[in-house]
Amino acid sequence: MSLAPVTEEVTATGGDVAPDTPWITIVWNDPVNLMSYVTWVLQNHFGYSREKSEKLMMDVHTQGRAVVANGTREAMEADTEALHGYGLWATFQKDD
Amino acid sequence: MARGFRRKGIGRHTRYAAQLDPLERSTVAGLMDQVRDLLDPPAPAPEGGDDFASIVAGLGMGVTVAAADQADLDPDAAGRDPALDRLLPTANRQDDEVAAEFRRLTETGLRQRKAAALETAADLLRRDDKLRLDADQARAVLTALTDVRLVLGERMGLRTDEDVDVLEAAARDLDPDDPLGYALAIYDFLTWLQETLASAMLDG
Repeated sequence: MSLAPVTEEVTATGGDVAPDTPWITIVWNDPVNLMSYVTWVLQNHFGYSREKSEKLMMDVHTQGRAVVANGTREAMEADTEALHGYGLWATFQKDD
Repeated sequence: MARGFRRKGIGRHTRYAAQLDPLERSTVAGLMDQVRDLLDPPAPAPEGGDDFASIVAGLGMGVTVAAADQADLDPDAAGRDPALDRLLPTANRQDDEVAAEFRRLTETGLRQRKAAALETAADLLRRDDKLRLDADQARAVLTALTDVRLVLGERMGLRTDEDVDVLEAAARDLDPDDPLGYALAIYDFLTWLQETLASAMLDG
């Protein structure tokens, strides 16, 4: 059974960005998702260590948001889609 | 009386075991059905046919998260149920066009995958009081519990951490018959159940 976290390829539109412009994926705080669950998602999706996942989760919780990944626009779109599959409040944007 | 999830065994033999009574199982599975329908609306029932939702609602144990049952539902500017915006949030806050394009490319797939996980989880819950989940089943139940809590939280007006405190304080003064009290009790039960599962899976 295919589950939520499976990602589909997302084709970038635009093409107005230099290929090396870094993009970021942000996770925003929300009142529903559990600290243990957010940690599990970060560990599971990104393969981050327990320690790094917990630190990012705490940043989301205490600061309202955290940058959880950076890279190409396509990669950040794929991460965002996967995180939506897990029910996290994720966005992607250019790293200004 | 429910027993939360615990990890058993190692490696590919790992199982996540819990025990729920029939009322707990049917309540949680019923909410998973409702969230699945929100994501993947079923074809309307034929004229004169059984309306399953109304039968369930008639049992008197129904907390309903269905859009049609929300007295004060306030659709967003696009006429969209706000619970859907929690399940499928805006992916770019700086550029509406980028956000719309992302939604166009991803929404159908996300809806289908969420609906499939919700269906898997509800089927598992309907089987037996004793749950014994393998890794894939545990992921389906974990994400399904998330989506149910997101929708139920949205229906109860939980949008910030402060809202949770306000709601819990208000709940102490609620009339015992107030449906909000019942919804909050179920939400707390789901939170507890998910916490035991997420913690058990995190240990791996």
